[in-house]
Parts: sequence; C-alpha cells; structure tokens
Amino acid sequence: MKIREKVLIVEDEHSIARFISTILTSHGYESLGAQTGAQAQSLISSWCPDLVILDLGLPDMDGMEILKSLRTWSSLPVVVVSARSHERDKVTALDLGADDYLTKPFGTDELLARVRTAIRHTRTTSQNSEIARTGSYTVDELTIDYNKHQVLLRGENVHLTLSEFRIVALLGKYAGKVLTYDYLIKELWGPRAGNDNQILRVNMANIRRKIEKNPAEPHYIFTEVGVGYRMVESE
Amino acid sequence: MRLTSNRFSQLFPFCWRDLALTAGILACASGLCALLRFVTRDGGFAPLVFVLAVLLVSRLTTGYLFGLTASVLGVMGVNFIFTYPYWKIDFSLSGYPLTFLTMLTVSLITCTMTTRVKQQDSLRLENEREKMRANLLRSVSHDIRTPLTSIVGATSTLLDPSAQLTASENHQLLEDVNEDAQWLIRVVENLLSITRVGDSQADIKKEPEAAEEVLGEAVRKFRKQYPQVEIQVQAPNELLMVPMDAILIEQVLANLLENAVLHGKHTTAIRLSVWKDRHYARFSVEDNGCGIPPQILPSLFNGALPQEPERASDGKRNMGLGLTVCRTIVAAHGGSVEAHNLPSGGAEFSFRLPLAKEEAQ
Repeated sequence: MKIREKVLIVEDEHSIARFISTILTSHGYESLGAQTGAQAQSLISSWCPDLVILDLGLPDMDGMEILKSLRTWSSLPVVVVSARSHERDKVTALDLGADDYLTKPFGTDELLARVRTAIRHTRTTSQNSEIARTGSYTVDELTIDYNKHQVLLRGENVHLTLSEFRIVALLGKYAGKVLTYDYLIKELWGPRAGNDNQILRVNMANIRRKIEKNPAEPHYIFTEVGVGYRMVESE
Repeated sequence: MRLTSNRFSQLFPFCWRDLALTAGILACASGLCALLRFVTRDGGFAPLVFVLAVLLVSRLTTGYLFGLTASVLGVMGVNFIFTYPYWKIDFSLSGYPLTFLTMLTVSLITCTMTTRVKQQDSLRLENEREKMRANLLRSVSHDIRTPLTSIVGATSTLLDPSAQLTASENHQLLEDVNEDAQWLIRVVENLLSITRVGDSQADIKKEPEAAEEVLGEAVRKFRKQYPQVEIQVQAPNELLMVPMDAILIEQVLANLLENAVLHGKHTTAIRLSVWKDRHYARFSVEDNGCGIPPQILPSLFNGALPQEPERASDGKRNMGLGLTVCRTIVAAHGGSVEAHNLPSGGAEFSFRLPLAKEEAQ
C-alpha cells in the first residue's frame, strides 16, 4: 500500500479547515486539523506531518510565531494560508522560512499545486532532485546547465552574463517557489547590498529579453508583484 | 487647555517656507526703497512699498503669524531706516500712528481672508471626497447584494429536501454560486485597493517598477480566469520603469481587462499595451466588443452611472465600482484615465502615469 503524505491543517475557521481537508483527502493525502497554535505545535512534534498548512490569524498566537519557532529546529515545509493580502505580510512569511504563501480566497487547484511543490522540495536534499541527478534543470525548451554555467533555449546558448546566470540558476534550483527580492539580492550581491531592487529589475529585464518570446508575457519566470520571482516548475 | 493651544497653533502656524518667504519679501521691499531713495532722493513712498509688502506676505503665508510680524517689522523699518531722522526710531513723527494702523489693518484683513479661503478650499475637497465615498458605498452595496441573493437562493434550493432537482440542475445551481462568489471576491479586492489608496496622495507608496512585469502578471491572472479570450500584450523593447504602487496598478489593469469582457458583450480579443508618451507611461486596453454606449461615456468614471433604462436598476454586473476604483488609483498616482470608442468597433480604455524625472528625459 502506498504511504500517504500527512498534512497538518492549522486553521481555526471550521468551514475552511473542512474544505481543505476534504480536497486533500480526496487527492490521496492524510490530513489532521489543529485549531490553535498550541495544538499545532504539539501535533507537529507528535504526529510528524510531511507538510503544514498554516493560517496566520489563530486565536491564541500569531501564525508567524509558530513559523519562527518551527524554523529553529526543522525544515518541515510550511504553506501559509492567510487573509492578509498585503505584500509586506507575504514577504515577511517567506523570509521567515515559509515555503509558499496563499492569499485567501484561493482556488483548490492552486492549493493542490502548492502543496505538491512544497512536499516535492523536501524529498531531496538539494532542493531540486533533477539538478542533483543530471546537473541541469529543464523546463519546456529551457535548460539550465549547472556544470557549464550556461542557459540553453532550444539547445542554443543564450549567453547570459554572470549575474544573469546566477539569478536564473537560483530560481531554477527552487523552481516553483517564490524567491523574494531581498533573498535574491542577498544571495547574489551579499548581505550589504542594501534593498535596492532596481539592479535586480534591470537584470531580470535583460534575462527575459534573452529567454522569453515576449518579456511582457513571461513563460518561464513569473513576477509576484511586490514580492519576488518564481520560475515555472517542470511537470 | 489642549484645545486653546491647538487653536493657537492653527491660527499661528509656523513653517520654514513661510519664514523664508516673509524674509525674502521684506528684503525686496527694503531693497526697492533703498534703490528709489538713491535714485529720487526722497523717502516719501517707503510706507507705500511696505504696505504692499505686508499685503503680499499676508496673502502668501498661512495663518496670522507672518502677516502680523511683517506689519510690525514694516512699521519699524519705515520708521528706522527710511524716514527722517534716518537710523533712529522716532515715535513723534507726524502721521506715524496712522502708518502703523494702516499696515496692521491691511495685514489683519488679508490674513483673515486668506485663512478663510484656504479653509473653504479644504472644506470643498473634503466634500468632494465625501461624495465619492458615498458613490462608492452605493455601488458596492449594489455589487454585493445581488450575488449574495443568488447565492443564498441557490444554496437553500440545493439544501431543500423537497426540491426535486435533476443532476444538471444541481450542477447549474452550483456553478452559479461559484460564479457569484468569484464576483464577490473581485468586489472585495477592489475595496481593499481603495483602503490602500487612503485619503490623500501622500498615502500611496510609489516605487519604480518595470511596466512589463505588472502587465505580465495582470495578463497571467486574466488568462486563468478567461482562457477563451485572446489577449495580445505589447511592452516597449527598452525597459520602462514607472513609479507606482504595483499592486494597485495591477488592480486597475485587472478591472479594465475584466470590463472589456463583461461589458464588451461579445469581446473575443483584447490588446494590452504600454508605451512611453513623453513624460508619461501610457497603458491601454483595447477590445473588439460592442463599445461604450455614447450616453454613459461622459459620466463613466465618477461612480454615478445613470442606469440604463431597459435594465432598470438591477443589472448585476454594474461597472461603476471597477471604474471608480481605477480612477481613484490613477488619480492618486497623479495620472488620468480616458475612455473612447474605437472606429473599428470596441472600446479603448487608457490611463497614463507620470514618469520619474530622469526617465522622462
């Protein structure tokens, strides 16, 4: 028998918890609900879920607190589900180590896709198993070759500059996940690079002109306005 | 106690700009007097020049502080520098009290008038905002009530054990509920945008954003929702950075795109484009739908759409809210929205946002 992945749903609204658990169960996951932060924390250590779906507005504590304390000892994937729609909240949650952030209201397809992605990322130690196996990441006609430091489009080298390649490489490594502007800048230009997004925007514009058919209609790298960038995941 | 000090600071507000202005005007007046005396060897017009200076200061500064200060300084200046005996204060001068009184009266009256005009201006602005808020609330309540009615109706029918429904009827009802709920979500998104704009221009946080990224996101979301509509996107080859609150502009684009589908009636293709138009970035949404009825064209953006007679007042898909939100957001960015019909049929909605100074050159 197939082992079912366990998902802990931390949500105090019964109707929302119920619909999430119904979808997950019908798609082959095992789910359990927690209504409070305290309950969530004890279930995380006793039930050992494979993924946590976390609502930020809980009756006894802020979901961000749970995330913060969880990240001190575990890399268990967390998908935050929240009614707070300001991009500031998204960035905070992502920078605190959330794997994804869904704003209420969200569709069921979207939820399932995010859950699948988040679980897949923890399966392998190197974030992206394809890179570990083959040294490259391919999605549609785009291939990132991590050994040769090249990006190929339909087999042709698109000649990215070094910083452009590093941006694409990083996004590819975490394909399917939003990387915040801040995270990208710190990874690429060091912790003292400041918070100027401008240089990142310009690099991204150049990348898109090299790999996308129409930069205003990206196919490979999406913008999460006010939050960051996400590379599309291969099926 | 607190109230008196508040009132005091309202009547005598201090700001550096006004201080500089006052000093500048008085210096000019002194300079002018000195020059005239040097040329004509006569100091008789000094009081007149200073009366003019006091008038200007009172008109151009806020509150009473600088006007009154200027009148006192003016009297002293006239007495001290420009009337015989020079460089001496002499209170026994003939007509001196008259000069003093004239200046004081001029400054008092002008200050009072200026303050009142400014108060009236802010009152009028407040009224306008109030009116817009009322319009908005009216169109929101309307936009919410209709789908709610249908959701409640459909779900209670589904729950009613005595209603004997076929599978396809069941499905239809659920589909309607889903569609109405989606509509409500979009209404709420618009409301959130409005709260984000706040009351004044100073409240939105503008940051330079790549126009193509905002376009791309708006289109990606639109595609998910309306896969049957063909959409073409155009952005300039040179990266166009526009100062904006990107979340809000994305909302504007989403509203315009959605309107093109919902109100174009038979829209099958949309073109979304952005280009640089001198000191502005112009965004445009063109569709091949039925166009805008000419009778509603003039009042399209003020939230007070005259109801179309044949649909009476319960047309569900009212476009009032979406467009009011668009106008509010774009206005808060210092831009403007326009709408017109295309000669080929269909409508074009466009808006422009001011570029940063260095971008515009």
